[in-house]
Amino acid sequence: MTPADLHYQVDVAHWGWSIAWFLWFVGIAGMGSVAYFFVRRAPLAYVIFGSLAIGLLLVVSHLGRWWNLPRVLWIMVINLDFNFNSWMLIGIMMLSVHLFMTLFIVIAHLPFLTNRFGWLGWTKALNASNVYLALYAALGAGATVYSGFLITQAAGVPLWNTSLIPVLWVISGSVAAIAVLELLYVFGLVDARVSSFGVRLGMGLDVLKLLAVLGFLHVALSFGSAGARFGAELMTSGEYALMTWGGVIGIGILIPLAIGAYTIFVGKSKPLLLVSSVAALAGVFFLRAAVLLAGVWEPLVL
Amino acid sequence: MSTRLRRGQAPTRRMAHIWDASRCIACGACVMACTQANAPEMMFREEKGWKSLASNIRRIDGVSPHGRPELLLVQCQHCENAPCISTCPFGATYYDTDGRVRLDPARCAGCSYCVTSCPYNVRWLHPDNKLPKKCMGDGCIDLTDSGQQPACVQACPAMARDYGDLNDPASSVSVTLRTKRSRRLLEATGSEPKFFVVEGSR
Repeated sequence: MTPADLHYQVDVAHWGWSIAWFLWFVGIAGMGSVAYFFVRRAPLAYVIFGSLAIGLLLVVSHLGRWWNLPRVLWIMVINLDFNFNSWMLIGIMMLSVHLFMTLFIVIAHLPFLTNRFGWLGWTKALNASNVYLALYAALGAGATVYSGFLITQAAGVPLWNTSLIPVLWVISGSVAAIAVLELLYVFGLVDARVSSFGVRLGMGLDVLKLLAVLGFLHVALSFGSAGARFGAELMTSGEYALMTWGGVIGIGILIPLAIGAYTIFVGKSKPLLLVSSVAALAGVFFLRAAVLLAGVWEPLVL
Repeated sequence: MSTRLRRGQAPTRRMAHIWDASRCIACGACVMACTQANAPEMMFREEKGWKSLASNIRRIDGVSPHGRPELLLVQCQHCENAPCISTCPFGATYYDTDGRVRLDPARCAGCSYCVTSCPYNVRWLHPDNKLPKKCMGDGCIDLTDSGQQPACVQACPAMARDYGDLNDPASSVSVTLRTKRSRRLLEATGSEPKFFVVEGSR
C-alpha cells in the first residue's frame, strides 16, 4: 500500500478545519456546562453561549447547501420524518436545546435585562434550580459525546470507527473547560476559589488524555484495518506527526503538566497559568484537527 | 417508475450492478458514459478529491504483488444496509422501491455526512450545486425508468457490465451470479452491497 492508493476524506468530503473548530467549541461548551453546575459563574455562562453560537455558525457555514436548510427542515417537520439513526440529527437537536438553555442562564446573569423586563424573572429561578442545572450539565456532556459519535458513525473512515473517540472528546473537553476557568481567573473574572481545584484535576485529566491518545493510536496501529493503520501512521510519523507530538502531546499535555507540577510545589502564578491554559486549549484543538485530517478511506484492492 | 420506500416497506425489486473483471478491457467507456449521462457539465472537469474525471464510477489502478497491472471499477453499491442512509440527518438519502440508494436534492443541505459514511468512497461533491453525486444519477434513472439499461452497461464494448433484479431468478444478473465466481467488496463493513465483482467462471 502506498499513499497514492489512498484518498483523504478532507479532499473529498471537506471535513477539515471548520469542523475541527466546531468540535473544539462544542467540547468547550459541553464540558463547560458540567463545570457550570459546580461553579455557577456568569463569565463561564457567557463563554459557553459564545462557544455554542460560534460552533453552530461554523457548522452551518460549512454546509455546502446551507441556503437549502430552511426548506430541508420544513420538509422534515411537515412529514414528521426524522432520522433518529443519525448522530448528526441527534446532535443538531441537542445543540439547539443546549443553546436555548444557555441563553436562559445568560439572561439570568444580566440584571439590566431581568430588572427592566420583569417577566424574565423565571430565568433566575431556572438558574437557581439544581434540577435545571443538572439537566443542563447532562446535556452538555451529551453534546460532547455526540461530537465524538458524529465522526465515529462515519463508516467510510476506519480511523474514526472506534468508541475511544467519544471518550477522548469527553476527557479533552473537560481539560478545555478547566482551562477556560483558569483563563477566567487569570483575567480576574472569577475568584481564586473557582480555579482552586483546577490545577490538580487538570493534571489528572492531562494524564488520562495522554493515555487515551496513546491508546487510540495503539489500537489503530496494532489492530486497525489498513485505512485505520494508515491514518494512525499519518498522525504518528506522517503528515500530521508534528501536530500530534508537538501540538496534541507537547503543547497540549506536557506543558500544562509541567506548569501544573511547578504550581503545586512553588505556588500559583498567573502568567504561568495563562500559558498553561492557552496550551491546554490549543492541544484540545490540535487533537480534533489531527484526528479529522488524518482520516482516509479503506483502500480498495482487486 | 420507482418511488421512495416508506418506513417498514420492503422493496419490490433488488436491482444490482455487476462488473465482470475477467471481461473488462479497461477502456474507460463506462466512466465516460456515466459522466455524459448523469453530469454532462463535468465532462472536462476533474473531481479534485479523486484527481480523476468527475464520474459516478471511480477507477482504481494498481499493481499486483507479482507486478501485474490491476484495475478495479467501483460505484455506489446500493447497499441493503447503507451507512449513508443511516447517517443522513435530513432523510435526503433514501431507498426506492427498486432497492436502490437515491438522493433527494430537495432534502439535501450539503453536510457531506453521506460522503464520509460511504466505505467505498464513491460519492463526490458536485462543485456547482454541492450535491453528493453517485450512481445512479438522474440520467441513468431516466434510462432505467424507460426500460433501458444504465449508461455504463450500454456503453461497455466488452459486455463486462450488467444491471438487473436479484429477486428475479431468470434475470441476467441472477444467472451470472449463479454460474460465475463473484465477490462483494468490503463485506466486513456489514453494508450488504449489491455490486458484484465477477472474477471468472466457476
